[in-house]
Amino acid sequence: MSFTSTKKKPKKATFHVDEKELLCKNGCGFYGNVAWQGLCSKCWREATLRQREAQIKSDEKLARQIHEKEEALAWGNRGQRPHAAPNSSTPDDVSGQMGGGFDRFEEKKRQKIQASSRAKQVKSMLSKSIISPNRGETPAQTQPHPNVQRQLSTESREASVRFSDYLKRLSKPMADDLSKSCREFGEKILTVREKISIDEVVEKVQDFYVDITGRIYTHHIYRGLTATQQATIIDNIEKYLMTLHYRELFSPMDTDDEQKDLAIQNRIRKLRWVTADMLGADLEEGNLLVSQLIVKAQTELIEMNAKKAPIDKLGCIVRSSKIIFQILQTSQDAPASADDFLPILIYLILKANPPQLHSNTQFITRFSNPSRLQTGEAGYYFTTLCCAITFVENLDATSLSLSQEEYSDYMSGKIQPPQTVEPICEGLHMMYNNISALEDLRVRQERLMKNAREFSDEMEAWKQRVSSQVEEAITSKPLIKKRYSKQPVNLDHDFGEETKGLPVPMEPQKVN
Amino acid sequence: MSGSRVDLKVVLLGKEAGGKTSLVERYLHDRFHPNVPYQNTIGAAFGAKKVEVGGINVTMGIWDTAGSERYEAMSRIYYRSARAAIVCFDLTDDTSFDRAKFWVDELLKNEPDCKIYLTGTKYDLIEEEKRPRKVEETKVEEYADEIHCLVYETSSKTGQNIKELFYKIAQDYVEDPKNREPEVDEGIIDSSQPNTKPDKCSC
Repeated sequence: MSFTSTKKKPKKATFHVDEKELLCKNGCGFYGNVAWQGLCSKCWREATLRQREAQIKSDEKLARQIHEKEEALAWGNRGQRPHAAPNSSTPDDVSGQMGGGFDRFEEKKRQKIQASSRAKQVKSMLSKSIISPNRGETPAQTQPHPNVQRQLSTESREASVRFSDYLKRLSKPMADDLSKSCREFGEKILTVREKISIDEVVEKVQDFYVDITGRIYTHHIYRGLTATQQATIIDNIEKYLMTLHYRELFSPMDTDDEQKDLAIQNRIRKLRWVTADMLGADLEEGNLLVSQLIVKAQTELIEMNAKKAPIDKLGCIVRSSKIIFQILQTSQDAPASADDFLPILIYLILKANPPQLHSNTQFITRFSNPSRLQTGEAGYYFTTLCCAITFVENLDATSLSLSQEEYSDYMSGKIQPPQTVEPICEGLHMMYNNISALEDLRVRQERLMKNAREFSDEMEAWKQRVSSQVEEAITSKPLIKKRYSKQPVNLDHDFGEETKGLPVPMEPQKVN
Repeated sequence: MSGSRVDLKVVLLGKEAGGKTSLVERYLHDRFHPNVPYQNTIGAAFGAKKVEVGGINVTMGIWDTAGSERYEAMSRIYYRSARAAIVCFDLTDDTSFDRAKFWVDELLKNEPDCKIYLTGTKYDLIEEEKRPRKVEETKVEEYADEIHCLVYETSSKTGQNIKELFYKIAQDYVEDPKNREPEVDEGIIDSSQPNTKPDKCSC
């Protein structure tokens, strides 16, 4: 005991470590390290290398076993078991249990494959029956892009039909050239869309517009077209391509369009309390005609989302704007200016909250023909719409000429805007509308009856006039019947003088 | 109107009730009726008109803008890619001239390719009704010298200087070598056109 105690004591006190303990456990003579389990660096590396190789080998073995098992089961399910199955005897129950699991898994997988192949068959049958009449002669072309067909929605298909109808009206070389370049470009978009960003797609599309416009203006097959015809061709191409690839190009996934749509939608929802007066819009919402026009203009704005081609979307904006001018015309005598127009447009946007507003404006900006957006009438209304949206996004107390407190109270819903319009409920409003409509109908019906009566009187008078005239004619010029006596004509009679110049009639002769 | 191609975008900037709309109305439809109800005013905020300059047809798209201060932040969207801007101010309202200066600054900063035409409106009010002139000619001319632009004083009531103003815009557009299309012939300047010189040209 005393020996051990004396041996331990100096060790602890002096922190002395025996040199033997520091050396490599393998006894190679180098110093070892605790981190390497008491081995020196060289011996440690060798040891780990050996261990790793062993691990890889065992892993491989396990993997092979599992694979063989799987294969055996797969074959087994098809009724015949290959020789490999008995060979790969795996006595451990772990893999046996796994086998049971795989069995079920495999079964499911097989069913899935069968189901999907059946679906494919049905699909191909359907698609053949629909598409083959149009594209029957180009089966090789449709095959490399199976997803092109699958992505065709009804609208896209309609667009293609409409476009080919349009092309039929053009001369043959023109139609061939246009359909070829459009088809090539469409396929190009589809194949590159996955790889490149939307901005690059925009660049490609705009380049295409420029190219095709240049081609139509300069190429000899297009000679002799008027400027309007050329413009229509370009419009139709744009319409067709954009409708066809709408799904890939509208509100693309790699942009934040969708978030912005939601943001603006929520913003508009929060600004529900804004009245026309606050915006400085001169609107008589009580007026029946005005309220009808407001609804119409709002419908057009909402409709924009349903249209596919930029040109059609712009059409909605233009129609909506024209209705706003009609509204302005009812309430003021002076010509409507942008100062009157913009507030009403803002008010309509707040009321209608058109779906996917940001995506729609982005889509138009990206894929519309630039010349249309920058200068023309549609461009003007589109710009005004963009202004209105920017205004809504940045709207604050000063832009509504409210104090900061009032604004935040409205925003938090503490106070409600003064109900200047429609103090009555929807049903009553409709009832009044109906009453006035009925009144209008009544007036019209009375007018109709009166006119009908007048007409029948007129008819009666005319009838009498005609009969009296007939009567008069009969009395003034009575019909006198003359008798004509019929004189029988003898065909065989010799006309004497009249037949003098004629040859003697031929006599039948007998010939043997 | 909407289908025709527009070559040149002309934007109207100016304070609310500064006479922008009357100017367009007079130019497009040649009328000015302050008290008589308008017929067919639909689309008055946008107008297109074809002008012939020395045998070349130029279609101008005339864009009216909202002049109210609350829409000030958006005016940039309006004048983007405009080739000419008519900056209006009311000759009888000195605050309108300050606003005009604001737009001129904006244009110089953001649209260097856009030509500016400084236009004092409602000249008839000074001439016929003897209203006091609030914006002095010398002040305007000094400013125009500074920014190198033309000055017009117009009256939509009498039509004074309005056709001249728009004709000058079209002429400048055609004469600008940047806008000349390759197939357009040389020597397009037509000096025989009457009344093309502005009232006061400070250039």
